[in-house]
Amino acid sequence: MNLSSTEMKKVKSKRRNASGRRVALLASVFTFAFLPFSFSAPAEDKTAEEKKKLDEKPVTVPFELLKSRHMAVMVKVNGKGPYKLIFDTGAPTNLVNNRLAKDAGVTKKGDKGGLMFGMGGAKTMDTLEIGGVKLEKVPVMVMDHPTVTAISNALGPIDGIVGFPFFAQYKTTVDYQKKELTFTPNGYVPGDVMQGLMNKMMGGSKGKPEPNVAAPAAVWGFAVDKAGKDEADGVEVKEVFAGSPAADAGLKAGDRLLTLDGRWTDTVADTFTAASLVKPGRAVAVVVKRGGKDVTLTVKPAKGL
Amino acid sequence: MRWPIALALCGCLAAPALADDKKPARYEIPYRLTDTKHVLVRAKLNGKGPFNLILDTGAPAVFITKAVAKKAGADLDDKGWGTFDAFEVEGGLKVDKVKTRVEDLVQIEGMNSMGLAGVELHGVIGYNVLAKFRIEYDFTADKLAFLELKGFEPPSPEKIEAKGGDDIQTMGPLVKMLAALSGIKPNFEVVPRGFVGVEFDDGKGGVVVKKVLPGSPAEKAGFKTGDVIEAVKAATIETGADLAKALAKAGVGTKLKVTVKRGDKTEELTVELGKGL
Repeated sequence: MNLSSTEMKKVKSKRRNASGRRVALLASVFTFAFLPFSFSAPAEDKTAEEKKKLDEKPVTVPFELLKSRHMAVMVKVNGKGPYKLIFDTGAPTNLVNNRLAKDAGVTKKGDKGGLMFGMGGAKTMDTLEIGGVKLEKVPVMVMDHPTVTAISNALGPIDGIVGFPFFAQYKTTVDYQKKELTFTPNGYVPGDVMQGLMNKMMGGSKGKPEPNVAAPAAVWGFAVDKAGKDEADGVEVKEVFAGSPAADAGLKAGDRLLTLDGRWTDTVADTFTAASLVKPGRAVAVVVKRGGKDVTLTVKPAKGL
Repeated sequence: MRWPIALALCGCLAAPALADDKKPARYEIPYRLTDTKHVLVRAKLNGKGPFNLILDTGAPAVFITKAVAKKAGADLDDKGWGTFDAFEVEGGLKVDKVKTRVEDLVQIEGMNSMGLAGVELHGVIGYNVLAKFRIEYDFTADKLAFLELKGFEPPSPEKIEAKGGDDIQTMGPLVKMLAALSGIKPNFEVVPRGFVGVEFDDGKGGVVVKKVLPGSPAEKAGFKTGDVIEAVKAATIETGADLAKALAKAGVGTKLKVTVKRGDKTEELTVELGKGL
């Protein structure tokens, strides 16, 4: 390959840029730990077909409410255990400490510990059992997370966290009164968060980033606006196109649009974000203020744009 | 999300009182998953906002950033706790007197500094509110179900002795610096996609215009009922999804060349996207 020196510089700078991003991302992973670390172990290695075979009966799993008010569940990893883990809806990854990882054979002899917090990176649990629920090939991050360690020191052994990649695969109900979790398989396939984030960072450019465009998933047939100084709830309906789904539902110019499918529409951008989540043909409630009264309309947006 | 243990131990979390209701209420709460797979809901605090908050059973309480607390006018005590008289979650759920921790957490700041979540985060909703409800999470549905647990008072976190839980907070400055060096800039601005003003059918015959809304950019561009949309700029259109993709990043004012088949003829139309949805 024959590159001019300018081109070489460009290549080098691109590399530097990419590696800088990777370092920053790694640091954020070290720090938050709630970001999964699965460069090589995608969470979505189960196909939708495989999902359908799952038993769809709900399974109830009791949890212990710790003094810190975290939920603790007993789990088996690779048939070993039981271990006590925290169930956490705010954790986008599963996490186990090095003790559990070694004991259950998640990490093998010779696997290096990490730089910080004994961080061993992305691994896979062959099986994860929680109550009557058993999953295979479950991605997990190995790390001695300081907060988990601190809770463990105070309240007895806690060896990790069960998060999104597990509970997203179920309709999950959390009941603090009964101290019960209920899991019903719902066919949802959790995506690979880390891969998505890496793509996002690698694709990003320096300088002013492009704005995010909120695209409605269907055509409604009205336009909204809001003046810069207007701080009141909702947005102004400026125009309703004749013959459109909005017109058919009785929306009128001059209405103050308050919510669309239960989502607040306090800005033009929020109105579009709400509309981006309503598929064509689904009838949803649209609440407007008209003549001082709240009026609920039902709009069924159509396939279109 | 994991939290500094010291915060979990502040035994001063009074359970928030629910708005007066006779029957256990059920709420349908709109949510979104962030790019980091956090469950995001929106809330107005003292009528201000909405603010973007993560549902986090790993947090002992509601946490919000200092900037948000200031905007919403929270009364803070000298230990960094505030109370919101009106705490309204999108979907119609109102909780009175919500005890809230006001703090700029590294988890939130770090994600915001790189825009990792894809949306600006303002805080989390933790145990002291979440435990009041039986919550159903189902990411195949577009709402979460919150069922009020009538008469249940969640026990407050107890004071426990723990060391080292705050270690994670010391990482904040490092992450911010690395984020700055890496050139990753957060981008939270959202703009509306431009409006065309057509309804279409898509099936074996391709994308067929079913209705052209009067006064819309589509009408001005000369679209007719029955036109088959074959291409937008260089992109071939065979399905509605192709069309949505071709226009995914097109804002208001964008001019697009659209190729349509009308009878035996092929027409080139130019549409300037307008305001609307």
